[in-house]
Amino acid sequence: MKMRIHSRIAWPFILTLVLTLVIWLIALPLLENVAYQKSLTTGAPVDLSFVHNAAFLISLAGLIACLSISLIYTNRYVDDLKTLTEAAKELGEGKYQEINVSPMRNSLLEMRELYEALHRAALQIEDQIAELSKERAMLSAVLGQMTDGVVIADSSGRVQLLNKEAEKLFMVNGKDTLGRSIVEVMRHHRLVELWEETRNGPAKTITMEMGSLHKYLQVVGIPLGEELPGRSMLLFQDLTQTHRLETIRRDFVSNISHELRTPMAGLKAISETLLDGALEDSVVARNFVLRMDSEVDNLTQMVNELLELSRIEAGRSNFDFQHIEPCALIQKPADRMILQAERVGVTLSYDCPDGLPLVFADPERISQVFINLIHNAIKFTPNGGRIDVTAFQDGQMVVFKVSDNGVGIAQKDITRIFERFYKADRARAGGGTGLGLSICRHIVEAHGGKIWAESFENSGASFFFSIPVVYRDNQN
Amino acid sequence: MSRFTLDQEIKLVQDEMLLLGSLAEQAILNSVDALRRRDVVAAKAIYAEDQKINDKHFAIENHILIILATQSPLARDLRVLAAMLEIITELERIGDYAKGIAKVAARLADDETPIPIREISTMADKATSMLHRALGAFVSEDLAAAYAIPKEDDEVDELYITIYRKIVQNMIKNPETIDHTNQILWVIHNLERTADRVTNICERIVFIVSGELLELDSSDDEDRDD
Repeated sequence: MKMRIHSRIAWPFILTLVLTLVIWLIALPLLENVAYQKSLTTGAPVDLSFVHNAAFLISLAGLIACLSISLIYTNRYVDDLKTLTEAAKELGEGKYQEINVSPMRNSLLEMRELYEALHRAALQIEDQIAELSKERAMLSAVLGQMTDGVVIADSSGRVQLLNKEAEKLFMVNGKDTLGRSIVEVMRHHRLVELWEETRNGPAKTITMEMGSLHKYLQVVGIPLGEELPGRSMLLFQDLTQTHRLETIRRDFVSNISHELRTPMAGLKAISETLLDGALEDSVVARNFVLRMDSEVDNLTQMVNELLELSRIEAGRSNFDFQHIEPCALIQKPADRMILQAERVGVTLSYDCPDGLPLVFADPERISQVFINLIHNAIKFTPNGGRIDVTAFQDGQMVVFKVSDNGVGIAQKDITRIFERFYKADRARAGGGTGLGLSICRHIVEAHGGKIWAESFENSGASFFFSIPVVYRDNQN
Repeated sequence: MSRFTLDQEIKLVQDEMLLLGSLAEQAILNSVDALRRRDVVAAKAIYAEDQKINDKHFAIENHILIILATQSPLARDLRVLAAMLEIITELERIGDYAKGIAKVAARLADDETPIPIREISTMADKATSMLHRALGAFVSEDLAAAYAIPKEDDEVDELYITIYRKIVQNMIKNPETIDHTNQILWVIHNLERTADRVTNICERIVFIVSGELLELDSSDDEDRDD
């Protein structure tokens, strides 16, 4: 290559030299001859100054020719080099597509070759970059869509990568966190401890509750030793919801065991007494069997309610929705419960204002809600108390209200009474299954409404539930 | 020593301070959790945690003093270090409050005394959330947050008064439980003080950014100490 370039520049130079030399060799003897001929014919002394001048002129012309040829060639090389430099610069700036062959079409072969090599390199880099960005896009899409948080930190504990989920978890802006310390970003000593342990050791998993939002997390620390030496990754799985459900399930199992144990123990005691000889006395035996019968009734009711509840919860219960007057919903169950209330000395009265819009409801189910609520009210209202049932419109809802002036509900219980088996006061709740209000809640929610309670301890309680009004009615 | 290392040293201390903050924050939450679950073991674990907080407090104090002695920081650097010296003391005190709550939790573990745990939890969540955000504001030198966070102290105070009234009513109704109910007053007092300490931390942030020493809580009872 080097030789070729040298010869490229050298040959016009040499050619010019040779040409000058040839002119010298041919022209000078001729001119000398002319000078001698002239002196022979004229007899004048030989005048060689003419020859000297010619020699000088030929040399000068040769020199100028040499210089201009080399100047032309040098200029072409300089231009080509300029183009090459530009191309190299563009390559550096990442403008791969701007390098094309056209500007070098008239260049020297070597320069063109070099340029083409550069062009090919540009195309290759472009391909590789495209490939890399594709991979990168795929990776960031995966990281972005992951439901687990991911944080990667280098050996000095600086954040190198943090995905969307982790951003949410730590309530930070991902871009701001890069290069910042994990302490600053994660703000929890146990996470920093986990990072320290995995930096120098094997992968490790912990579960923890984090901060005032009580996020329940499973965190896996993984050293990335082989692929990325010195770095480690923390994976965060938010188990808050699972943990909550697990707690509910555990409570449920413990509650149901407890609830079933009481009537079972009663049955066992009665049957033992019967076996121990009470069977012989027919009056006592009959009494005991009656008690057994009522205990079994209690158990059956509880199991039925449980089944009903699980059916409603699973959405498998059929509702027979219809357009109906809110007052019609109140009347039937209230009339049914009046007698029961009177028996324990409680006055039950209902009052339904005129002109309430139609609601979309299943009368049987709503009747069950009323019966459960009134039944509850009777249980917690002492002799001489009163229970009022009424309804009113609130925006797109009709709100039903069952209020009493009984013992009321403690503030701490008021949001929990709709949970399964929750009994605010176990001593007083006595015979109930603890499922009634839970069933009410599910029925009301299946109607698209809400149920809630208000109470001040010792000054009675009010239960409210809302049922959406029929849409067609709103238009009128 | 060069600027670069002083900056690095300050960042190191700041990270240590944030870890101390995290320990204090979690200690408060854990102590209330121990109270909820009436869990003696969890309550006693907080005593050990408090020792860790105290040790860390001394270690950071030491670190700051060494920087002050060897690098003679000026202007903003000096303000940051002085503020951190103050803040770690506040955090150490918050750790003590957590220990106080844990002690009550241990004492009430075998007791049937009703505890208004829902309200207490809300109070603890509120106070620790303030603490968490205040330290975040320290890192990002967020002046707006430093002014806004102390205002939330009012909500904590309100909760304090609500629970206080409830407990006093309970005391009047059931005088025989006063010995135990009285303990719960300590719990809410500690939580209320925690929020006050956060206000002090916010004052330090204002000091760093503006160089001014302001009292951010107008309604406060700074003279009432524990």
